[in-house]
Amino acid sequence: MSDIPVFFLHGLAYAGLLFLVSAGLTLVFGMMNVLNFAHAAMYMLGAYFSYTMLQATDQFWLSLMVCPVLLFVIGALIERFLLRRVHVFGHLHELLLTFGLAYIITEVVKWVWGNFPLAVNIGGLLGDTVEIIGITYPVYRIFIFLCAVFVGTLMALILYRTRLGIILRAAVNDSEMVNALGFNVPLVFMGVFAFGAALSGFAGVIAGPLLTTYPGMAHDILIDAFVVIVVGGFGSLGGAVIASLLIGELQSFGVLLFPKLSVALVYLLMAAVLIVKPSGLFGEES
Amino acid sequence: MMLHKNTPYLLIAALFAAGAAMPLVLKQYHLNMLTEIIVFALYAVSYNLLLGYAGLLSFGHAMFFGMGAFTVAVSLIHIPGLSIWSALALALAMTTLVGFVAGGLLLRHKGSYFALLTLAFNSLFYAVATKWHTITGGDDGLSVTRPNLALGFTTVNLAGIESFYWFTLVIVGAAIVFCWYFTQTAMGQTVLMMRENEERMKFLGYNTNISRLILFTFTGAVAGLAGAFYTLHFQFCSQSAISVDMTTTVLLMTFVGGTGTFWGPMLGALVYIILQNYLSDITDRWPLFMGLIFVFMVLFIPGGLSQILQSARGLFTRRRGPGKPMEAKEASS
Repeated sequence: MSDIPVFFLHGLAYAGLLFLVSAGLTLVFGMMNVLNFAHAAMYMLGAYFSYTMLQATDQFWLSLMVCPVLLFVIGALIERFLLRRVHVFGHLHELLLTFGLAYIITEVVKWVWGNFPLAVNIGGLLGDTVEIIGITYPVYRIFIFLCAVFVGTLMALILYRTRLGIILRAAVNDSEMVNALGFNVPLVFMGVFAFGAALSGFAGVIAGPLLTTYPGMAHDILIDAFVVIVVGGFGSLGGAVIASLLIGELQSFGVLLFPKLSVALVYLLMAAVLIVKPSGLFGEES
Repeated sequence: MMLHKNTPYLLIAALFAAGAAMPLVLKQYHLNMLTEIIVFALYAVSYNLLLGYAGLLSFGHAMFFGMGAFTVAVSLIHIPGLSIWSALALALAMTTLVGFVAGGLLLRHKGSYFALLTLAFNSLFYAVATKWHTITGGDDGLSVTRPNLALGFTTVNLAGIESFYWFTLVIVGAAIVFCWYFTQTAMGQTVLMMRENEERMKFLGYNTNISRLILFTFTGAVAGLAGAFYTLHFQFCSQSAISVDMTTTVLLMTFVGGTGTFWGPMLGALVYIILQNYLSDITDRWPLFMGLIFVFMVLFIPGGLSQILQSARGLFTRRRGPGKPMEAKEASS
């Protein structure tokens, strides 16, 4: 069974990508209590921006820097001019708005880039393969996992070790009090939403070469990312780590062991978690 | 302006009479469209019982619609000589069962959590429909022929567009009227009051979880009936009937029509299908226009078309602002 290490590594790579997507989702949900349906659409936008940039410049690293910045700006604009406007109507309207935005972004993507998959090739070291534990393995998949570790560590450090993190966590608990203490809470929320968008863009750039860039990619990852935050617990970063690993490996080994059932396995896991612990593995009981 | 007690019944009778006369006026193409509108009107009404009346935003309503559609298709193919009534009854039974089981799991959560979980469940059903090729036909879908309608004293051939239109008008129309009746019952009023203040309802001794489960199961069965007619209408059923896009469609219809009234979603279905038919002739980008209209409405007209119509009526009757049509009745009455 020499397949097992390979599938394990595949699982790790997919878990890394899942974490990058669901971290932004769970951050925005945890901080602002907004379930952002447009998150995966912004991830797709990141992938398409990156595709266009790679066509023009052929610089993967540059695109990895620039595309998240573009998405950051888009996210900030969405929060400032659209989301904040419907905030007074309650969560239902915020959800409907992000859902409508996802719908529009998907249609725009089909319009601009066409309704077909676009392959992204990256040359250089990242496109190469490497020998680890006796198997030849693509460098790029290892790179994805390392990116996820890097982003996860960075987020944890910011949230739990800096002054900004303290303000953020306090704003979640009692935004009025934090506002009264002189911090600009609306600006903080705008920053959080924009950071979530930038994170989704980053994930999109990374996903392009792995999964190809296509208009259905938003929907495909959205469901998996939702399952991650259901299983991990809403708004929990640690939960997202564990759940991403679980689901990444489950997807990977599901294909190996039960090819026919592989799609259903993830949902079965979700249903099981819902029955046993409805708030998710690391969620707080509400 | 006080409505007379009998006004709704007169209105319903007039609508049925007008509907029954339509085959004399409309060409076949438009009659087909009207049949589709009636089917989707029922689907949208059932969705609005969740969204507008109970305040539950579901992204999984297509699992019932698709379950109804597939039950009819599969049972007509595999059980020779099955009557149309039995096929419809099977669809209702299946969707009731699915609604009860899924509702038991999903309704443990509210708000955003509920929305997310319904979406995941819908995706599960879609995945099964796509993979289970031997039963559902996978990507190819299933073709069926409409069986004859046995009425006991006579048999009607439903192959024609007109006869099927009348059949749809009577059965689906009756289902819509039943949904309206449901909103007037004590159960329907309970759901409305739960949306307004659940704590108080619990305090008054209502079991809100059971009420919500009953509502969810009921709307599921109604959506299943709409799905069954969808299969019968197109004489075809594919996995698109159970896809998330089908939920998106009903959400757009309901919201554009307006969640604040009972009739808003029906208007939404009418507008959506007419727009779909005409805009798709002019441009391939019509979903983009629908999306833009949707976001515009979320931002500026959260009450949808029915809100516009009601404020227009308010101008004529010199009433200050539109009333709240879905307010719960006084408890004493």
